[in-house]
Amino acid sequence: MRRALGGFLALALVAGAAAYVHRPAPAGAQGGGTIEATVTYNGAAQVETLKVNKDTEQCGTEAKIEKVVVGANKGLANAVVSVAGMKGAPTGKKATVDQHGCKFVPHVTAMTPGEVELKNSDGILHNIHTYSTANPSINKAQPKFKKVMSEKFEKPEIIKLTCDVHSWMLGWIAVMPHPFFGVTEGSGVAKIENVPAGKHTLEVWHETLGKQTKEVEVKPGQVAKVSIEMKK
Amino acid sequence: MRALVSRRGAGGGVRPYSTTLAAAPVPDPRPLGSGNADDTGLAGSPRPRRAARLVVVGAVVVAVSVVASVGQVWAQKGDAQAGKSVYEKKCALCHGDKGDGKGPAADLLEPRPRDFTTGVYKIRTTVGKVPTDQDLFDVITRGMPGTFMPAWDVLAEKDRWSLVAYLKTFAAEKLKEAPKKQELPKEVAPSAESIKRGKEMFEAIECHKCHGADGRADGPSRPELKDDWGHPIRPANLTKRWTFRGGASRGDIAMRLANGVLGTPMPSFIDSVEKPEDIWHLANFIASLGPESPNYATLLSARAVGAEIPDDPNAEFWTRIAPQNVPLVGQVIIDPRNFNPAIDLVALRAAWNEREIAFHLAWDDPTQSVADPAKKTYADAVSVQFPRALVTGPERPYFLMGDASDAVYLLRWENGKGVVEADANGPTKLAPIAGGMATANAVYANGQYRLVLKRPLASKDAARLAFRPGVFTPVAFQAWDGGAGEAGTRMSLTSWYYLRLEEPQSNRRFVVPPVVAVLTLVAMLLVGRVANRRG
Repeated sequence: MRRALGGFLALALVAGAAAYVHRPAPAGAQGGGTIEATVTYNGAAQVETLKVNKDTEQCGTEAKIEKVVVGANKGLANAVVSVAGMKGAPTGKKATVDQHGCKFVPHVTAMTPGEVELKNSDGILHNIHTYSTANPSINKAQPKFKKVMSEKFEKPEIIKLTCDVHSWMLGWIAVMPHPFFGVTEGSGVAKIENVPAGKHTLEVWHETLGKQTKEVEVKPGQVAKVSIEMKK
Repeated sequence: MRALVSRRGAGGGVRPYSTTLAAAPVPDPRPLGSGNADDTGLAGSPRPRRAARLVVVGAVVVAVSVVASVGQVWAQKGDAQAGKSVYEKKCALCHGDKGDGKGPAADLLEPRPRDFTTGVYKIRTTVGKVPTDQDLFDVITRGMPGTFMPAWDVLAEKDRWSLVAYLKTFAAEKLKEAPKKQELPKEVAPSAESIKRGKEMFEAIECHKCHGADGRADGPSRPELKDDWGHPIRPANLTKRWTFRGGASRGDIAMRLANGVLGTPMPSFIDSVEKPEDIWHLANFIASLGPESPNYATLLSARAVGAEIPDDPNAEFWTRIAPQNVPLVGQVIIDPRNFNPAIDLVALRAAWNEREIAFHLAWDDPTQSVADPAKKTYADAVSVQFPRALVTGPERPYFLMGDASDAVYLLRWENGKGVVEADANGPTKLAPIAGGMATANAVYANGQYRLVLKRPLASKDAARLAFRPGVFTPVAFQAWDGGAGEAGTRMSLTSWYYLRLEEPQSNRRFVVPPVVAVLTLVAMLLVGRVANRRG
């Protein structure tokens, strides 16, 4: 019995160590580099507003549908930047989307195939309604007492996420075929680490402004800076 | 064709037939009309053998339903080629030749006809997207209540199975996975306790957001709802179970709650209730919100009362009179037409006393609206229509608010304005009658109007109808949901009904029979005595 327990502990230790070792190595190791992409948009932000007629305590009295968010220096937020044609195992990291303030937070989530945790911090009825083609479409209610749900998206695809109770709620889950991606923040910057050295094509996707590509060369241990301007 | 034959062979254990449409038997109204019984070789047998045949057929049917419920339902049962010719005759007008929901009539319909190429079906008994053949067969057979999709039970059962096979060819790629049965928790019988728990859960999971606090489809999210193709969609009115697309039974309701209505905002709740059996408590509560069938009235009656008739539509008095449900349909005779009317039912309660007559009308309308050009809304309205004078023969004015030769008399109520009496020579030719004698009291709450219209029984002039007890008085109704943009000829309406003012039941019935009995007894005694004396 004791021996079995010891064996189990040893096994657990080894597994833990293996997991630790398997974590993504820091930038520069194994001949990889980092891509720092700055996505800009030379147009105005596009925001629609809507008067809210329910749940104003959680949602506020005015809802914003942010179709294009432009920050400082014309930086475009919520764009998914990825290295085209790459392969790689899923990160195993569980993505999280929260329904908070009657918004999907973050607005755009990028993940490798696997599970996503859907949280309902609002404590009111939401429903997760996805528009997917590669993955099964779902429309599941998430009432106030259902704080967390888990869903699996196994196939690479960019999935639209809506809530029918609050029609302005809109979010995106980008299921990527490899771990070389990032989502731009308010400043328009996204970082992709551990990219194998060499010439690559960067792909940018934005919900309103569509897709664009740009060539980039990654050198071992260096940060390749690249800027991409999205056209209307 | 060879492929078809071999496929038939594969499913042949269940339904072996190969007739094409041309050779198909006449539609058989019996539920067993599969035409397969003849294959057993018992045709033309004497009676005992007929019983045997029935047993065999019964066994086949039981076998089919067992097979269907066990889950091997994806087996081909129909002939897609035969289904195609049925489809082209019966379905293509709405659903389109290509099955894309773009038939010539599609633009007039709301909800729009299904686009079969998407492989998305609202009503399923499965988890996920792929329905069973039985699901498709059931929708064809019973139609989609509350929509333009009629019940096709007039088609032979075989033809319906062939249609199922053909429909699937429109989205073969999307429906290639095997359907996975949606399991339901153990059924809970309806009881006061279960209904109470269902109501708690109804509130906890916020069904009212779309369906409204009383279930009348007036929830705050209603105006925002769209289907997966971006078309506006109305939530179900939970008090009108007979309009539920997937059926009105508790089992149907539980299934809709469990796996949702695909392609619409209605989500799946199987994993989103506190305990699995809450699905049944909810179903029991929803079933308690309204009758399974509207039991439409054929003859309307007004109760004779000796007392005052209250003006308040919520007075207890009105609850003692059973509602008489009258169906309304869209006005599609005169332009602009109303193909998708918002109001489909008016519940009438009527009463009269020696002075006046009162009509209590109740109808569901999700929004209380007044005329507002900015929002493109109009005032909600309703009218009760009579001939101008009592008619004796079968001749009545034109039901659509009269015509040039024969006017009708209207009691027309409008939200924000009240009631007017009017003469009409057609829907656009209304003339108010001077010296109004009618009064109205309306209340609106949780998606329902309740209105009491009153008028003196007698008429002071020839412009209005005088109501007389015991007489069959023609009556018709029109309604407008101004919030849905209905006004003028865009209305919902009925044809003529008859209203009868019940005659008061006098106390004579308690006096006359005993008096007659006593007199008879006296007469018998007299006769007896006279006879005795003579004897």
